[in-house]
Amino acid sequence: MPNDLPLKDVKICDFMWVMAGPASTRILADYGATVVRIESPTRVDTARTLQPYYGNQFGPDSSGLFANCNAGKFGISLDLGNPAARGVVHDLVRWADVVTESFSPKAMRAWGFDYETLRKINPGVIMLSSCLMGQTGPLAKIAGFGNMAAAISGFTNLTGWPDRPPSGVFGAYTDYVAPRFTAMAILAALDYRRRTGAGQYIDQSQAECAIHFLGPAILDYTVNGRVEERVGNSDTAFAPHGVYPAAGDDNWVAIVCRDDDDWRRLCAAMEDDDLARNLRYASAAGRLAHRDAIDSSIAKWSRALDRGAIQSRLQSHGVPAHQVQNSADAYADPQFKHRGHFVALDHPNLGKFTVEGPRAKLSRTPAAVRRMAPSLGQDNQYVLETILRYGETQITELVASGALG
Amino acid sequence: MSILSPYRVLDLTTERGLLCGQMLADMGADVIKVEPPGGSPARRVGPFYRDAPHPDRSLYWWAYNRNKRAITLDLERAAGRDLLRRLVERADFLIESHNPGHLSQHNLGFADLAEINPALIYVSITPFGQDGPKANYADSDLVIMAAGGPLILAGDADRPPVRLSIPQAYLHASADAAVAALAAHHERMRSGLGQHVDVAAVQSVAMATQSNTLAAVLGSVEPRRMSGGVKMGPIEIPLVWPASDGFVAMTFLFGSALGVFTARLMHFICEQGFCDEATRDKDWIAYGEQLFSGAEPLSEFDRIKELVRNFTRSHTKAELLALAVERGFLITPLTTIAEVVESPQFASRDYFQSVAHPEFGESFQYPGPFAKFSATPIEYRRRPPTVGEHNSEIYRDELGLSEREIADLTRAGII
Repeated sequence: MPNDLPLKDVKICDFMWVMAGPASTRILADYGATVVRIESPTRVDTARTLQPYYGNQFGPDSSGLFANCNAGKFGISLDLGNPAARGVVHDLVRWADVVTESFSPKAMRAWGFDYETLRKINPGVIMLSSCLMGQTGPLAKIAGFGNMAAAISGFTNLTGWPDRPPSGVFGAYTDYVAPRFTAMAILAALDYRRRTGAGQYIDQSQAECAIHFLGPAILDYTVNGRVEERVGNSDTAFAPHGVYPAAGDDNWVAIVCRDDDDWRRLCAAMEDDDLARNLRYASAAGRLAHRDAIDSSIAKWSRALDRGAIQSRLQSHGVPAHQVQNSADAYADPQFKHRGHFVALDHPNLGKFTVEGPRAKLSRTPAAVRRMAPSLGQDNQYVLETILRYGETQITELVASGALG
Repeated sequence: MSILSPYRVLDLTTERGLLCGQMLADMGADVIKVEPPGGSPARRVGPFYRDAPHPDRSLYWWAYNRNKRAITLDLERAAGRDLLRRLVERADFLIESHNPGHLSQHNLGFADLAEINPALIYVSITPFGQDGPKANYADSDLVIMAAGGPLILAGDADRPPVRLSIPQAYLHASADAAVAALAAHHERMRSGLGQHVDVAAVQSVAMATQSNTLAAVLGSVEPRRMSGGVKMGPIEIPLVWPASDGFVAMTFLFGSALGVFTARLMHFICEQGFCDEATRDKDWIAYGEQLFSGAEPLSEFDRIKELVRNFTRSHTKAELLALAVERGFLITPLTTIAEVVESPQFASRDYFQSVAHPEFGESFQYPGPFAKFSATPIEYRRRPPTVGEHNSEIYRDELGLSEREIADLTRAGII
C-alpha cells in the first residue's frame, strides 16, 4: 500500500514493551512512521499475556491489548544478550531517526545500547527512554507497571468514595497518559533536528508527565496547602453531578447540571414541577447544599426508566447526560461508528481482529491502521532483507547464531 | 533556541482543551491565548488562590496556561474577528474547543481561515467530534467518561461507577490533539499545506480502558468494577492492598511475564512466615489459567489473598516501597497529593518548578517539565497570564495598532 501519511519518512527503532511505550509508537505508526519493534524471543512481552483475549482464549497472539498497542508496526525477534544481535541493533540504529526504549534504567547500558554509544553510530539520532520514575533518583530502578505509577503519583487515592478506602482508578492509568507526551516529545525533537541537524536524548518519567493531569490539585496544595481527596462523583461547583441507576442489571446514566439553566431543563425533562418550584434548588449553592436530596429524587425517577431513553430525553433538553457504556455499548455506539473508532484488521490465523482506530481525524492526510500487530518475529525476513538489505548468507548466519530466537 | 520556538499558536480554547496549547508552549512555541473581554470561562473554574474567586486567581487556569501570552478579543463582533484574521495570517496553529459549527457561523471556521493562511493547522477539540449523531450532545467530564468507557470500570461493586475526582476527559483529548497537530506540522514541512485536526474527547478517553473497550468485539470477558481491583468473570483480582498505615498498589498477577514476580514475592512472604512452602511453590505462571479453568478453586485463591494481605498489613507503605526497590517487587504506595509534592524522588530530579507570581509577591511550585530533553530543556518562561496582559505588546508591537486605536478598541469593548 502506498504510504502518503504525514510521517511517511520517519523511521523508528523501537525497543519499548508492555503498554506505555508501545502505545506511543502505535500513534506514530498510525500517522505513517515505519516502526520496527524489537521483541525478545525469550522474555515474553507482558502485554501479550494481558486481557482482553480474542475469543476469551489465552494465546501468544490473542491479546487485544498487545494488538491495540502494536498495530501498524513491523516485528523482529532479537535476543539482545546474544553477541550476534549487536550488529543488527547497530544497523537498525544507523537506519533509524528515532530510537525508543522503556526498560528499567541501565538495561540499555548493560547491553551497550545507551545513548552515548548509539550516537557514535548515528550522530543525529533521537533517543527516548521512558520508564515509571525516570532515569535518575532513588526510585529510578523500581520495576513495574502503570498501576504502580498511578498509585505513587496520586491517581489511585483520588478515585473512590470519601467514606471508603480508595476504589482506585482502573488499571495502569499512567500508561494511558504518558504515550501522548512520548509521541509529542519525539515529533518535536524531529522538528528540531530538521532545523538544526542535532539529535538528542529524552528522559521521560511516566509519573512526571502524568502529574500534569492532576495540575489543579497539585496547585491547590502548593498554593493553598489543601490536600484534595476523592469525592465520589460529586463536583465542587456543580450539582446535581452524578451517576444514577436505570432499569436493568448494573445500568447507569451520568447526569450533570453545569448551571441553573441545565437544572431548569432537567426538571422540565423529568416533568417534575415540585423540583422545579423548590426555591432551595434554584441556585448552584442551594443544590450543592441539598445534593443528597436531589440525587434521591433523580434516582427515584431514573430507576425504572431505560438508560438509552433517559440519555435521549435529557440530551434533547440540552442536559449533559449519557448512559455509562461498557465495551459492548461502545462497539454499538453510533458516534463511535461514525468516527470509525473500531477497525477490523486481517489476522493471518484468526480472521478479523478489531483494534481501536486513530484518535484524531486529519482532514487532508488522515491517519490509518495499516496492519495487524506482528506476531513474535513475524517480520524478521522483511526487516533484515528489505530494510537492512542483508544478503542471504548474512541472514543464514544470523539465524544460525540463535540471535533471532 | 527551544524545541518549538519558531512557531506561533493561537489558542482559542474555552475551559476545555487548554492543555494542548500548554504542551506546545512548554516546548517553546509562542502560544497566544485569545480570550473574550473579561477573560476565558476557564478563569471561573476553581480552586482559587486563597479561595478567592477572581479571573486571575483560578488554579485551574494556572495549571494549564503557563508559558502562554494572553490577549482579549471579542469574536462576537466584526472588528474583533478582523483582528483575529490578521493574527491568523502569521500563525502556524490555531486551537479551538467551541461547539461544532460555532466558529464557522462567525466565518472563523477552518475553511474560512485556510483562505487567509493555507498553511494553518486548525485543531478542534470537542466532546464527540465535529459531526455525527452525537456531535451536538451537551457534555461534561463525567458524561464523556461515561460514554467513552473508563467510568464503568472503576468503583465499588455495590455503588455506582465512579470517576477520578479530578476531571480528566479534556486532558486526554488535549494531549491527543497536540500530537496530531505536530504530525500535521511534519507533513506541512513537505506540502506547505495546513489541515483541520478534529479530536473527539470521547475517543481519547477510551484509551483509559486499557484496551478493554475491545472486550466485546473480541469475545473476551467484560471486566467488572470492584473496590481496589477488578473482577474478571468470577475471579476477584485485588490491585490495591492494605499497609499498616494506608494502602499500596501491588501487581500480584500470573502468566509467563508476571508470574515470575509473584513467585519472587511468595518466596519472601514464606521466609517472613506468612505462608507454608506448598503455598509458596504453586505454579504462579499457570495460576491464572488454573483459576479460570477451575483447577484451582476460588476459595484457595481467597486464602492466598488473605495471607498476602496479612503480609502487606504488617508493613508500612515506606517499608513496602523499600522492599520493592531492594528486591524487585511490584509495589508502590498510594500517595496523597501532599506526598507527591514532598516526594524525594521528584525532588532528586528537580521536578517541581518554582514559578514567580510577582502580582502576589510569591512563588509557587508547579508540576515540572514532562520530559528532560538533553539539547532543548523545557523552560518555564512565563507564569500564566492575567486577563489581557499582553494586549498592548501584541496589538501595538505585532499588529502595529496605535495607542489611540487600542484605546478605541478597548473603549468599544472589543479588546
